[in-house]
Amino acid sequence: MGLTPLSEWSGQIGELVIGATRTDGGTRSHAVTIGGERDLPYIGIPPSGHIPRVAYELTDDPSLWQSAAIRTIGDRAHDPSDWAAFAEKELQPDLIRLYLSSTRRRGFSDLSQIGKTVEAVLQATKLPLIIEGSNDPALDSSVFRKIGEAAEGERVLLGTAESGRYRSAAAAAMAYGHSLIAQSPIDINLAKQLNILLRETGLPHDRIAIDPYTGALGYGFEYSYSVMERIRYSALKGDTDLAMPLISSAADSLTVKEVREAEGGDADQAAVAWEMYSMLPATLAGASIVCVRHPLSIAGLKSAIASLWNGQKSVGV
Amino acid sequence: MPLKPLDIYKLLPKKNCKECGDPTCLTFAMKLSGGKAKPEACPYLDDNAKTILGASTRPPVRRIRIGVGERALTVGEELVQFRHEKSFFHEPGIMIAVTDMMPAESIKKEVIFVRDWVLTRIGTDLRLNGIAVRSVSGSPEQFARAVGAVEEVADLPEVLMADDPLVMEAGLSVCGNYRPLIHAARLLQYREMCRLAKKYGCPLAIKADSLDSLAELSGLCVAEGVDHLVLDLSSPNLHALLNASTAVRQHAISRTTPALGYPVCIDTGLGGLSDASLIAGVTKFGSVLICDDLPGASRKALLVLRQNIYTDPQKPIQITPGLYRVGTPGRDSPVLLTVNFSLTFFTLQGYLEASRVPCFMLIVDTEGLSVLTAVASGKLQETVVRDAIGKYDLANEVSHRTLIIPGYSAPLSGRIEEITGWKVLVGPRDAADIAEFLEKEWKP
Amino acid sequence: MISVEKAVNAGKESLEGRMGAIEGSFSYEETAYHLPVTFALTGNIVTEAGGAQEAYRASAQNPLVAGECLLAHQASLEGKEPSPYTGFIPDAVLRTLGYSLVDGSILGLVLVAGSPPAPDTAAGLCRELQEKYMLTFLSGTIVQNLTSSGVKVGAEYRLVPLGSRPFSALHFIDIIARVAMMFGGVTPGDAERLLSYAKERAKAIVIVFPGLNDEEIALVDAFRLLGIPVIAAGDYDGNGWIRVLPADAVRAGMDLKGIKVSVTAIPIPMACSPAFEGKSIRKEEMQVEFGGGKSPAFELLRVRPAAEVQDGKVRLIGPDIDAIPEGSAAPLGIIIDVAGKQMKKEYEPVLERRIHNFVNYGEGSWHVAQRDLIWVRLSKEAVAKGVRIPDIGTLLAAKFRMDFPDLLDAVQVTLITDEKTVLAERELAEKVYRERDDRIRGMRDTDVDTFYSCTLCQTFAPNHVCIITPERPALCGAITWLDGKIAYEIAPAGANQPVEKGKIIDMDRGEFEGVNRFVKKASHGEVDRCSLYSIMEFPMTCCGCFECIAVMLPEVNGFMVVNREFKGVTPSGMSFSTLAGTIGGGAQTPGFAGISKSYILSERFLQAEGGIQRLVWMPAILRQELKGRLLEVLAKKGIESLFDKIADENMAGTIGELASFLVSADHPALAMKPLF
Repeated sequence: MGLTPLSEWSGQIGELVIGATRTDGGTRSHAVTIGGERDLPYIGIPPSGHIPRVAYELTDDPSLWQSAAIRTIGDRAHDPSDWAAFAEKELQPDLIRLYLSSTRRRGFSDLSQIGKTVEAVLQATKLPLIIEGSNDPALDSSVFRKIGEAAEGERVLLGTAESGRYRSAAAAAMAYGHSLIAQSPIDINLAKQLNILLRETGLPHDRIAIDPYTGALGYGFEYSYSVMERIRYSALKGDTDLAMPLISSAADSLTVKEVREAEGGDADQAAVAWEMYSMLPATLAGASIVCVRHPLSIAGLKSAIASLWNGQKSVGV
Repeated sequence: MPLKPLDIYKLLPKKNCKECGDPTCLTFAMKLSGGKAKPEACPYLDDNAKTILGASTRPPVRRIRIGVGERALTVGEELVQFRHEKSFFHEPGIMIAVTDMMPAESIKKEVIFVRDWVLTRIGTDLRLNGIAVRSVSGSPEQFARAVGAVEEVADLPEVLMADDPLVMEAGLSVCGNYRPLIHAARLLQYREMCRLAKKYGCPLAIKADSLDSLAELSGLCVAEGVDHLVLDLSSPNLHALLNASTAVRQHAISRTTPALGYPVCIDTGLGGLSDASLIAGVTKFGSVLICDDLPGASRKALLVLRQNIYTDPQKPIQITPGLYRVGTPGRDSPVLLTVNFSLTFFTLQGYLEASRVPCFMLIVDTEGLSVLTAVASGKLQETVVRDAIGKYDLANEVSHRTLIIPGYSAPLSGRIEEITGWKVLVGPRDAADIAEFLEKEWKP
Repeated sequence: MISVEKAVNAGKESLEGRMGAIEGSFSYEETAYHLPVTFALTGNIVTEAGGAQEAYRASAQNPLVAGECLLAHQASLEGKEPSPYTGFIPDAVLRTLGYSLVDGSILGLVLVAGSPPAPDTAAGLCRELQEKYMLTFLSGTIVQNLTSSGVKVGAEYRLVPLGSRPFSALHFIDIIARVAMMFGGVTPGDAERLLSYAKERAKAIVIVFPGLNDEEIALVDAFRLLGIPVIAAGDYDGNGWIRVLPADAVRAGMDLKGIKVSVTAIPIPMACSPAFEGKSIRKEEMQVEFGGGKSPAFELLRVRPAAEVQDGKVRLIGPDIDAIPEGSAAPLGIIIDVAGKQMKKEYEPVLERRIHNFVNYGEGSWHVAQRDLIWVRLSKEAVAKGVRIPDIGTLLAAKFRMDFPDLLDAVQVTLITDEKTVLAERELAEKVYRERDDRIRGMRDTDVDTFYSCTLCQTFAPNHVCIITPERPALCGAITWLDGKIAYEIAPAGANQPVEKGKIIDMDRGEFEGVNRFVKKASHGEVDRCSLYSIMEFPMTCCGCFECIAVMLPEVNGFMVVNREFKGVTPSGMSFSTLAGTIGGGAQTPGFAGISKSYILSERFLQAEGGIQRLVWMPAILRQELKGRLLEVLAKKGIESLFDKIADENMAGTIGELASFLVSADHPALAMKPLF
């Protein structure tokens, strides 16, 4: 009789492409496609859609970064392009997520540096990029314009749009051919609402990734886990306003007491464990991109995802 | 689909005799429908009703108990595929494996560790659950010795892992009275394993090459009179494991394949990806998770993940009300009031720690409701604030008389000032803005 | 007076003649869209005369195509006009412009062409456009006009001089065509998509002054096809050109395209934020008070035709604060006149309730109650800082426009402190209150085609869908049909969505095709059917916020209702919290329903089961709360005696006692059709 999972879905998650290669007018070595699923994550032989991807997060302002994440990075942490080149070569994530955290400092004004940083990182790595801009309505307009311009043609994934401040990020995505992360505070209805607002700006649905916000493991992660499952479930049931790929980040999980208070090598182990135990579940709940900050988290996550995907130790790009 | 209360009511005697312990038949029907009562509690059911109610009110995933005493492990009785649909009920047991090749002293050390290790979070003690004993030598005597070493130290639930019924019987002769899980029966030897399970009254794990043969084997075991089963789905291939465990849960809860209506057991030591197997097991329907080696960091993360996933989504985790300290606050440090909804608490606490301003958090009891809902429903009221200030002796903790309240509770500010005599500062609505707020607005 | 129609005909002819004579090759640089208007309309890539003529034919002699070819041709012959004129604007600049449009830092695009009669007119117009966040393009002598009167032009001033002649107005359209292709996904050659994009999405207007020749009139007239209104501030007549005085040109244009400026700051000497909402002003802190039983006071919000409402205007009739003795009670009338294309009379009461919140947002102003029962105070501190009574009007006008930007186009406030006027206006206001009450009370489900949904509770009850009708408010009791309707108008993507009733499946049970369709979708496929007036068959799902629970009691063939406040055990054998725990979470449980208190008084309550006559038990506290209104409802049906037949916990605590009570009271439910 062949007992297999019961699939009764009518919807499909949209596909989202990040990165443009030379033939598409960019300079990335390859593009990453996510989404496309017609069933629950990893379910089916082969599973539907595209394999979940691992992004490595770095910043232009390491003083705002968790120390556990940069202990082993050393001086590279002070130059995002160096850091990115090192990451591509040594850590081999699928994507790099650059946080322009400097824009979140009080009194930030050096706009031209933003453009330079983005250009330098694009030079330093050929991996597809996710770029995080400011989170202050007073700065958004100029910051996102700068990022959009500097990365024009590279089809990056821009973050982050929220209800209340989504116009600048959406405008940059539309004006310069990028995609957009739409973040809502752990609530399926707010996620949907933001997608509808973005549609009204004219941004097509196939250029949106949903970030339902990921709470720290042990401190609200269960809410994020269920919201991801519910968004995925609704999309598969046919709700097209929720049928975008999901992105989840372990950033909060590195701020928990258990990681912060660990020392030396224990701190690395704790960081890696906390990232693994929040991000692999995130892919099981439906995330298409999971983001980590500890360099040693990447390999483990990638092989776990590969085994869940097709039982192999690794999956080629 | 479970029967609705009124459908069940129609099958009841409608006497309101109270012999089931409930005041009315309607109450009993409500409980049956929620799986909170057993049809047998009603002495007046006719056979037809018994059959219908038995089939539809029995949990679709059978309840299994492993071990005895206060550390006994109960698994099964799950009703849903997604925790948001209702809740996951029984946390999977984490069983640390020892082998019969290990010296007795090492085994005991391991057992003591499992017995005593505890991680306390949000007022709950998180623990490992039990010990799995692997037969590696193939020798019945050596297996019995290993089991004996475990028994010497603690009454923990055990999984006895041996394919040879002779070896298994040797282990059971040591601990068979303490209801270990017999692991595992296969098509070739299930009769002997069933005989042992019946003889010792133990639950039985079963194992086969495919789900179809597993369903068949489960039928055969039931026919032998053993219906306390656990399905072993272990595989080094996580894709196969996840697809199998998902299929089992779906077939069980939809009652399409009752032969799969049992809890799932996973040996996570097979593919070299034990963290990933454990994660798949905790999130996707595992009930008994066997693992060889669990480094400290993984162990904590695993138990925390398990606690998160098995939290009842409809009952928010509550923080014990009280006065909490962030950093080392002094007598002129700010006092921030908020509700005892865990997510609110942890979010605020995180941002306060990041702000590096030492302060007090005054957590009041709103029965776990968030600020917005607590204000709307009247759970957060000036009287609650007044009582908390008194109860936690705030006036003696700080020298000032200023209270910072959440932005969404602004409508209460005047009434709080009036009843407490404290000055109220209305803080931001979003915890993320708290650092800026304190910098700008806080003057002791 | 120039006849536009005649000029258009002459202009078209002239353009056609010049197109026939065009020669050589020409193109724009720094663009991927060739000649953008021609490319967008026809899909043709024009680089020389032959191609231009072919495209012109393909466009059925569209004057815009002719204009573009001729303009490009001229530019290639003569070169670009010298600074400050921009001529053709490159793609890179345009991208930034498109960004600002989506970003919201520019609200719309305006073209001003021709020669304004006086330099002041031009300067005034442009200042107004700058203040309203419009990006303005200038064509013709207006540019000289402005520079000579000292107005700075250039992109950084949001005043872009396209060219010295009005013909350069054509660049305005090549910008819109490129925005449509870059941002709107319009494919070149798909003229229909281009037109609909420009009509629906491009917030663009044209203002013309005198001085356009026939060709230029023909060009500008062709803009109208793209849905761009032509506002004539000169002597032009006909062809749908809208004639206005120069001073009204900007407002007229923005109104036509529905472009609104959002208010961000409130110019009063007092902080204004939700953070102050709960602050009260004690007697000793108060400078003056109004109403509260001590002096006559009222508030009224009413819709007026747009012409009668001047946005932001605040008027005070009577003495200001300086003339009122400290610590006294003065009369007060607050009349808010609003106008808006989306605004409807029926929204008035819902908006009026917001006066309470808004006045409380002021750091030194305080407000309680509503209508002619209001009580308002101003603090000494605020008055010392310079707050005067009209500032309350400024606050209200600004907050209403901020919070309801899509609903309200203009808000004007009249404050009255003159006692005689207050008394006279209050009488009129009281008449309005009565009319409103009658209208709402009279509203039936059969009067409307659309119900509203509420899915706010899906956070914890993932599949729960509340359907709100005029006769059945949300089960939490907090949202009426009108609230749902307005919430939807204000936030169309929010948690309250319109639900088309659709075909009636069963009127008795309140089952509708459209409602079922909606519920199925909104419950993520979990609930197929929903009857609005029945508790026995396919009742509505329950979240957890219900004010009351209605429970079928099979033993007595009726229903009991228990409210959240009642902590005891009900005759069903269960307490409110036990019942709530079992039926909540988004499940459909026949025989049980979460309901609001006011639904008990509705005609539709238990309609399928026989109505209010099925009600056998309520807690005393609820019985007391509803007594007055319930007696009214029963009196209308001529069954006032039913009230005393409905038991409470004092008459019957258990099901057995209830059964005996109902028999002795001869409750009608006992004789009704068995419930199952």
